[in-house]
Amino acid sequence: MEVTPRRFLFAVPPLTGHINPTVAVAAELVKRGHRVAWVGHPGSLEPLLRPGSRVYPAVSEAFTARLQAGREERLKLRGPAALKFLWEEFLVPLGHTMMPGVEAAIGRFRPDVVVSDQQVLAAPVAARLSGLPWVTSATTSAEFTRPLAAMPLVEEWVRDQIGAFQLHYGIEDLLDLRFSDHLVLVYSTGALIGDVSFFPEHFAFVGPALERPREGGFPWEWLETGRRPAVLVSLGTVNGAAGARFFQVAADAVRDMDLQAVFVAPAGMVPDPPPNVLVRDHVPQLPLLERMSAVVSHGGHNTVCETLANGLPLVVAPIRDDQPVIARQVEEAGAGVTVRFTRVRAAELRDALGRVLADESYRSAAGRIRDSFTAAGGAAQAAERLEKLA
Amino acid sequence: MSTDMGTDVGTDVLKDIVGMLVDVVGEDFLLDLDVGLDTTFNEDLALESIEFVALAEKLQRRYGERVEFAAFIAGMDLDQIMRMTVGDLVRHVESRLRPAGL
Repeated sequence: MEVTPRRFLFAVPPLTGHINPTVAVAAELVKRGHRVAWVGHPGSLEPLLRPGSRVYPAVSEAFTARLQAGREERLKLRGPAALKFLWEEFLVPLGHTMMPGVEAAIGRFRPDVVVSDQQVLAAPVAARLSGLPWVTSATTSAEFTRPLAAMPLVEEWVRDQIGAFQLHYGIEDLLDLRFSDHLVLVYSTGALIGDVSFFPEHFAFVGPALERPREGGFPWEWLETGRRPAVLVSLGTVNGAAGARFFQVAADAVRDMDLQAVFVAPAGMVPDPPPNVLVRDHVPQLPLLERMSAVVSHGGHNTVCETLANGLPLVVAPIRDDQPVIARQVEEAGAGVTVRFTRVRAAELRDALGRVLADESYRSAAGRIRDSFTAAGGAAQAAERLEKLA
Repeated sequence: MSTDMGTDVGTDVLKDIVGMLVDVVGEDFLLDLDVGLDTTFNEDLALESIEFVALAEKLQRRYGERVEFAAFIAGMDLDQIMRMTVGDLVRHVESRLRPAGL
């Protein structure tokens, strides 16, 4: 069947984890004959996109430098303080700084549909001002379980931030910019999130849209085959002193366990690792997961979903933001256990890892989630839903 | 339900809650911190959500439903939650344990 080519503009924050799924969805759209472009921070986008991809700038180097400068401060924050910082120092300023660039991109690319990352406040506003349909791309599913339900005044505060942003641009019929009224793409499924049956039809739980840029080589010969399990320990891009402590504790935890462990950590962060630990700056995560038996993670949504897409159980040590929510999802789905991050002890971690490796129920639960992800269709299903909208 | 509802409270609430925090966090992590009424959950203790849940469970086990920890949290705005101290929690628990009319 011949499709009418449509134009899709993806608006993304300068965050790798939020860009990756859009790359997979966009590739699927291109395969179907559509045109795609991105608007965001060129320096973050370009290494992740296919050569020749069209990028419109909306985030300056000065802005990302300011974010980088605030990073040390952010690493110390937890819970409510992290939430306040996220909105006041990141999401709202990001929205304002992106507004002119998103409007210019709409003017030049003339999209039929604007696909806005859930963290980009500018794109839904600019789309509405241009009379275009807009779609939410939710790269974490935390917002679909009302994580702040126990703190109604805090939930209200978040809604006020979103409301004030729209009022600033003269929009008075306020929407919750985190949830498009046209289409919401969620890269997970009810098997992990919990009950999603009450969401309206335009919430599409498509499962992970797996995508990782090439991440260099890996000494595959280091991994033994068959004799003992291998585990991946990754804290995403989070580092700092707390990360260093966690890796040290993890090294102590696995030292005497009958397994091999790959730590994704900067060289030198784990001095004198035990012989069954390999420390690598970067790993080709997707192919590596195929060789693993379990994963220890801080609960970043992409890593968690990539792990579960391989039917592997997890030990999750959540730090901040959506991570405690994702950790709870994993635990409640039966696919893993949660441990502390900052004050975790080696015995705590060893016990948790031993449990997910030995108790078959964790692997079975992870397998059920993998099956639901496969059935949900991922990037192809996301593209299908986007086509119907255009 | 195994709660010691009859226990005398008053100043003991502070001692109880400090004891719970020591259990949850681990004594060795509190060596350079004298936990008292002014200690903040957020900045001083940097309590993680998993530790906070563990504390809530201990409060419930110790004092029973009447402590209404959920209602205590639900009544606070973002800045109040960020600045919440051990003293705030102690005062809340005491107010719930006080016999009606006092």
